[in-house]
Amino acid sequence: MIEVHNLKKTYDVKRRQNFFHSTREKVEAVKDISMKIEAGQIVGLLGINGAGKTTTIKMLTTLIEPTSGSYMFDGMDALMNPHQVKKQINMIAGGERMIYWRLTAYENLWYYGQLYGIENNELRRRIDKLLKLVGLEDKANLPVETFSKGMKQRLQIARGMINNPKYIFLDEPTIGLDAVVTQELHEEIKNLAKEQGKGILLTSHYLSEVEELCDYIYMVNNGELVVEGTKKELTDFVFTKKYYAFSVQGMDEAVVAKLRNHLLILDGDSSVELEGRTANISSRLELSSILAEFAVREGLVINELHKLEPSLEQAVIKLSKNIEREEKGIA
Amino acid sequence: MDLKVLNATIKKEFQIRLHAYPMSFMVGCILTSFYTTFGAWLMYHYFFRKRLAVDFTELAGTSDYMSYAIVGSLMYLFVVRTCLNVSRTLITELREGTLESLMLAPFKRTSYFLGNMLLQTFMTFGETAIATLIGVFFGLRIHDFSLLKFVVATLLSLYGFFGLSLMLGCLMLYARDTYISQNTLFTAMFLVCGITFPKEYLPSWLQLIGSIIPVTDALTLMRGALLGGLSTESFMLVSLRVFILGTIYIVVGFPLMKQVERIALEKMEG
Repeated sequence: MIEVHNLKKTYDVKRRQNFFHSTREKVEAVKDISMKIEAGQIVGLLGINGAGKTTTIKMLTTLIEPTSGSYMFDGMDALMNPHQVKKQINMIAGGERMIYWRLTAYENLWYYGQLYGIENNELRRRIDKLLKLVGLEDKANLPVETFSKGMKQRLQIARGMINNPKYIFLDEPTIGLDAVVTQELHEEIKNLAKEQGKGILLTSHYLSEVEELCDYIYMVNNGELVVEGTKKELTDFVFTKKYYAFSVQGMDEAVVAKLRNHLLILDGDSSVELEGRTANISSRLELSSILAEFAVREGLVINELHKLEPSLEQAVIKLSKNIEREEKGIA
Repeated sequence: MDLKVLNATIKKEFQIRLHAYPMSFMVGCILTSFYTTFGAWLMYHYFFRKRLAVDFTELAGTSDYMSYAIVGSLMYLFVVRTCLNVSRTLITELREGTLESLMLAPFKRTSYFLGNMLLQTFMTFGETAIATLIGVFFGLRIHDFSLLKFVVATLLSLYGFFGLSLMLGCLMLYARDTYISQNTLFTAMFLVCGITFPKEYLPSWLQLIGSIIPVTDALTLMRGALLGGLSTESFMLVSLRVFILGTIYIVVGFPLMKQVERIALEKMEG
């Protein structure tokens, strides 16, 4: 298991004032992040731009050292043993980086395999398997510079798995990919975690991707952890009310007014808004049976009654707006 | 030393050059050697009218100025090509977007840099051979060839240049610049390392700078091996100086490179 506590990273940044003068200032990219990644788990790291996601990933991959905090990797102090950690991790980033464009796909994987000290016969087997897995077996001997963006990304995924890592860090892995390739990659990520037991940390701007893939989510803002939990826990944290769509035959303003009065007696914070032929209801209470009883008592035939589950995207947008309001309030 | 990484790096760099060899760059380097030789030839024949300072023979160890200058320019070509390519390796990785994936892997940097150095040395030998033929046309004569001294001079030169490359590589990666750093160093080397004239003609402070760049002594060794004029005792003493200088550069260069790598990765963020 990967476990970090109170991770902090401060950069010494030079700001140019004019041609001759520049000043130095400290920028806290990550202020305080604690998190866990277990084997077989897909963990999401969400945040708006500049939240500190990439810096966090770079610290976890030992590419940069944290200013303070602890980092335990399967019970070992990762900060004292970066070489050992590197053997068991890998990273796949979005875009077209991290591969040599002037080498072929096979040559790329062979070179990285050598850097990881993989025995030659095993490396050949692994390269064949990975190229097949990412659908590039027919393009193995073509230079990467002739590849499309999606093909380059698929090769990068193969590169990221060349050392059969125990933990994989995915930094915006589907950025710029088309829907079909993205879906294939999603299946592969799920397979890596669920079938092969790899621990995965995923950052993505596509909230639907995080929602589909992640078992547990950390949301960061300005280098600090704002909230963590499963998708349900996050939406429950953000949306304290429950939402329903309710429609009966002959739905009109009179029915809505009657319903509104009834619900306000039970919960003073509830609200009922008519949109077309459907009443959108919000309340802190569990309303399914209450609404059904209301329809029976009023002799109404129910057309539609279902609880609306807010998406992670809605929760993140609401949370971001709340944070923005708070920050403006403080300022 | 990790031979797997060494071999892989040589192979990778060779494959990259095979796919996209900068032919114009190679021609450019040979042309630099040609221009240096041609410039020395013009000056010697038309400006100095073949008259040399009375102390030239004593300082240069030979009275054959053209051979002296041509060996200097060949060595200059050699050092530029090897130093330049080794020192540019990491900044090239940074520019091509492979620095992070490289740094993620648990491998020894020594083998990586040495792999780059060996391949470049091999390729530079070819270029230097072509430049040597041009040199013969301009009057290069091997007066007193010693195979043993030539091998020692070559190996020690490579050792010294390797150390120098590490330091230049640190500077390039830190400043994220190749042109200003490489051109400044190579111009300084041309001036203070005795490429076309003995460094003793320079002010003492410039001589001091020249003496801390291993190219100066490496060149003395190579001239000693090809043109003679250097006693065995002097050859051994200069060899020791190149070895010590190279060692200092390497001992300082590797840990410094680690620091600069860290700064470069942080700069990508910060």
